[in-house]
Amino acid sequence: MPNISPVTTEIIRCALSQAAEDMNTTLIRSAYTPTIYEAKDCAVAILDSAHRVLGQSSGLPIFLGNLEECTRATEERFGSAVWQPGDVWVMNDAYVAGAHLNDVTIYAPIFLDDSGQDLIGFAASRAHWIDLGSKDPGGSMDSTSIYQEGLRLGATKLMSGGLEIDPIIDLIATNSRFPEPLIGDMRAQIACVRTGTSRLREITRRWGIDTVEAARDSYFAQTAQLEREAITAVPDGEYSASGRLDNDGIDIGTPIPIVVKVTVSGDRIHIDLTESADQALGPINCGRAQAVAACRVAYKALLSPDLPLNGGSFLPLTVDVRQGSVLGAQEPAAVQYYYSHLGLLIDLVVTALSPAMPDRAAAASYGDSLIVQMMGTDPRTQMPFLSQEATVGGWGAWAGSDGESCLINNVNGSLRDMPVEVMETLFPVRIERYEVREGSGGAGEWRGGDGVIRKYVFEADQDLSLWWERSVTPAWGLFGGGSGQAPRVRLNPGTQDERELLKANAIRVRAGDVLLCESGGGGGYGNA
Amino acid sequence: MAFRVAMDIGGTFTDIVVHDTETGNFTASKADTTPGRLTDGVLQAITQLRIEPGEIEYFVHGTTQGLNALLERKGANVMLITNEGMRDVYTIARGNRTRMFDIHYRKQKPLVAREDTFGVGGRVKADGTELYQLDEQRVHELAVAARERGYESIAVCLLFSFLAPEHELRIEEILREVLGEEIMIVLSHRVSGEWREYERTSSTVLEAYTGPVVRNYLEQIGERFVQTGISAQVQVMQSSGGIVSADFARQHPLQTLLSGPVGGAAGGAALSKVLATPHAICIDMGGTSFDVSLILNHAPDITTDGSADGFPVLMPLVNLHTIGAGGGSIARCAGGGLRVGPDSAGATPGPASYGRGGTEPTITDANVVLGRVDPDWFAGGRMTLDGVAASVAVERLGAEIGLGTIEAAEGVLDIANATMAQAIRTLTVEHGLEPTDFTLIAFGGAGPMHAEGIARELGVTRVIVPEYPGAFSAWGMLGADVRRDFSHQFYVQRDLLDGTELQVALRKLGDEAREVLTTQAITTDMQGVEYALDMRYIGQDYTLSIPLLGLDEVVGKDFIGDIASRFERSHRSRYGHANGAAPFEIVNIRVTGTGKSPHGHITGGSALESGGVVKNVAIVFNGETHTAPVYKRSRLIPGQRIMGPAIVLEETTTTVISPLASLTREVSGVLTMEVHPRA
Repeated sequence: MPNISPVTTEIIRCALSQAAEDMNTTLIRSAYTPTIYEAKDCAVAILDSAHRVLGQSSGLPIFLGNLEECTRATEERFGSAVWQPGDVWVMNDAYVAGAHLNDVTIYAPIFLDDSGQDLIGFAASRAHWIDLGSKDPGGSMDSTSIYQEGLRLGATKLMSGGLEIDPIIDLIATNSRFPEPLIGDMRAQIACVRTGTSRLREITRRWGIDTVEAARDSYFAQTAQLEREAITAVPDGEYSASGRLDNDGIDIGTPIPIVVKVTVSGDRIHIDLTESADQALGPINCGRAQAVAACRVAYKALLSPDLPLNGGSFLPLTVDVRQGSVLGAQEPAAVQYYYSHLGLLIDLVVTALSPAMPDRAAAASYGDSLIVQMMGTDPRTQMPFLSQEATVGGWGAWAGSDGESCLINNVNGSLRDMPVEVMETLFPVRIERYEVREGSGGAGEWRGGDGVIRKYVFEADQDLSLWWERSVTPAWGLFGGGSGQAPRVRLNPGTQDERELLKANAIRVRAGDVLLCESGGGGGYGNA
Repeated sequence: MAFRVAMDIGGTFTDIVVHDTETGNFTASKADTTPGRLTDGVLQAITQLRIEPGEIEYFVHGTTQGLNALLERKGANVMLITNEGMRDVYTIARGNRTRMFDIHYRKQKPLVAREDTFGVGGRVKADGTELYQLDEQRVHELAVAARERGYESIAVCLLFSFLAPEHELRIEEILREVLGEEIMIVLSHRVSGEWREYERTSSTVLEAYTGPVVRNYLEQIGERFVQTGISAQVQVMQSSGGIVSADFARQHPLQTLLSGPVGGAAGGAALSKVLATPHAICIDMGGTSFDVSLILNHAPDITTDGSADGFPVLMPLVNLHTIGAGGGSIARCAGGGLRVGPDSAGATPGPASYGRGGTEPTITDANVVLGRVDPDWFAGGRMTLDGVAASVAVERLGAEIGLGTIEAAEGVLDIANATMAQAIRTLTVEHGLEPTDFTLIAFGGAGPMHAEGIARELGVTRVIVPEYPGAFSAWGMLGADVRRDFSHQFYVQRDLLDGTELQVALRKLGDEAREVLTTQAITTDMQGVEYALDMRYIGQDYTLSIPLLGLDEVVGKDFIGDIASRFERSHRSRYGHANGAAPFEIVNIRVTGTGKSPHGHITGGSALESGGVVKNVAIVFNGETHTAPVYKRSRLIPGQRIMGPAIVLEETTTTVISPLASLTREVSGVLTMEVHPRA
């Protein structure tokens, strides 16, 4: 290995991390569906030939460092000789990648040139696809098996020698209710891995394979050292926290416990999740990779929010997940809402470590995406429509500040709410209130942030689905701070037909019906 | 004698460029900015020029009044009126986060507090029809409250007002009845005709917040001009890179928000025409800033989805990207590695060499160590730098990472140039272009010093250093056209498109544009009106602006097919792929009215002195110390070619040429650097 100057290392590190930014730019600018360009429900990475992250740009925090699972699994299944120049692969197997079937990873091997002699790495991008033929449009709130959730693809070759394999594209398009935007997003992801391919080639040709590898080893070591220094500053000990999800969407009366045990010793952190609930019948299970990613989000928030992400990240962190548990789902567990317990898990890791890091920690947040979904036919245009919204809420307070009000939840990326004018123009619905839910944040020396009130009036008959969580364990406070208020959803409040409900799968609502949604507040910090 | 005068009023200095229309000569100078009394500063600067007031036939300037009021949070005390039930739209601010791993995230503090926001009954639906009547009684109460609480301006933003402005207009009427004509009232449908209530509210509030101070200033300066005997009308640079008269700017003060900094982009566009280079990257590097803008097809890259200090602005803005912190970026050791930025030493304490208490090494310090900055002649001789302090700071950093002082200083610059270049590349990638398609135009005090290094990283082979690189924004304003932009929501999917309806909507905006140009004394033959549609595939969010050939084509029988294929081509070139079969939708219509600058475009050209090398200095490239000649720019002969290593010195800027580059002083006056690839 050549002796490398810290200057060269830094230039190569920045170049690889900017190459990932270029990939992300390519993807977001050319995507068709708002879930990608608006909610940034995507992530990209450039990997080395041993599947380690050279550079990453993360839209969605919970995709932290698990794109490599896809290239690794492909190589384990088919052997390393399967990689050929110009090929592009696709995979969405939830149990490998950890997320749900809508999260599709597209990846390509990168060779130094078209001779296919030197494999120098991989480009990978993951993005949320609008519909892959689940039993209900846009994903079911009540699936009980992955076979109800859409087309499931193991490692599948999508392009060969630079050309799309038409029968595979047709197979994917045929399985979607919205083939046009879906194929558009797929091509955006292909353009994205092509950008990554040309960037890594340029960088490697300029500096040479040996120098790039030496720089890689050097900046991986820098990142690892900085993270170890941060962990060493945390007092050794065993810390724990637990909370419960409301239910699995099927058995509404039974909460789902999530249990976190964290051990800090020297420059290492171990997180034990094995005492969490068994895998559930409803769609709230996730693959192991995703549980690990959620732990990484909490780790990063507490220890290294400003450090770069690469193959040197997270080396001091180990996570124990029990296969067959709600966090280590196995076939045929349903996984559509794989993220509700991940939001809870992130808050729990932060809470567990709060006695050791009282200034870095924050009280719990409102915690879930709180999905409101409407579908039907718009009488104004006679066209079918599908609207999916996440709802903002209150975040936890910390030493020195109240928590933020009306902010999107921790598992989401830079998602923005849907403007009232856009909603009313595109969908047969009116929004009559969009206001802060005053007093919903927990009390404390520092108050939790407030949730939001959003009141809908339906202008046409349509189907309504809801996925609202965290009423059994609303955002809790820290060090004497109070809990935030729980979320609450009412249909036709103040009338004889009033109904309280937090989860619903495609229930029929009529023109003139009113839906009043109130999201939860954040936890307070310290005694009031 | 007749002169055209341009001024770029910066935080500390005002740059002035004067064009003698008889000799064709330009002169640049600097004056002190007088914060708090900007009008005095402008008049003093004019006095300093020693020009008779009557000889000024054209005066344009970039005013930073509005932007300063925003950045220093010294704007007006604003009351915000909105629909009942929508009071928190402005503070919710779409609920998004910009830092993904920050559990201590707080949104930016809004310019109007929740307590100063009031809902009013009344609603308009998505089709522009009235759902609930306006609660006029409530408006009356608010008008009285506004007087009692002493609000200085009022922003009104109601849902769908761009479709049906009646409620907003009625609110204005009632407020005027109670409050009189003096108070500034800003109605959202006049600020922007586009949907998305948060972004429109933000734009409306920004105008109400910064408007009064801008309006005062423009009124004052107009009066002072009359008193002084200057008959030229005051012209103002807009954020879109075009010029408007002060009268117009007073009515629409928000349009001047980024007035100063966009002059550079206007200059870049003017220069790109002179040099026949369609695409250019403009880099403006100063002591504590590094701004990049792109010129695409001879025009500044304009965004219609921009922001100012984090607040969305729904109007065309030159896309100005701030990357890092220029010369003030701090170099540090982290985990055994070397990092440059993002932390900045700022102006205080500043780089170690400023001698104001800074001890950490910065990019400026590295330049001093390598002999690229003359410590005795910094900022045009306005400052002297401490070369020893720079060396000590860089040496300490070098020791931490095992590098000698010279090696560490070069390393800091190499990293800085590489990271700035990579960020620039991402900007060009957003347009589907590679940097090699561009020429680099370098200005600002430090731009020409770093231009070669950045160009080489980008694979750009041609660098232009314009005349007066330290006052380039002012120079650019002299060549800018009058420009007014209009847009309106026009949402329709392909299959429902009615060409006649579209034509009516376009004609309405076009007439508005002509009317405004006429009020600015642009004669009909000098007026240009361009039409465009913001289009996307159904389901997409980002739109592409597709220019129309004229008003007639939209009612032609082939229109849908034609526009679809133009959109497809544009999509493919921007994004690398397109979906010919997928249906499109139109979201907004846009009309740009331009008035050709009556003075024609400037071409440069200045008086010459003969001469050459003024001295030799020691300067380090690639670890080797070279003896490099220092040339004075004013003494270069047209056509003269200089081989690197060399330095070209002028008033406020230093151009550094390494052994891998050469430089030519063109007849037009600009310097062209040829950048050779790394050996």
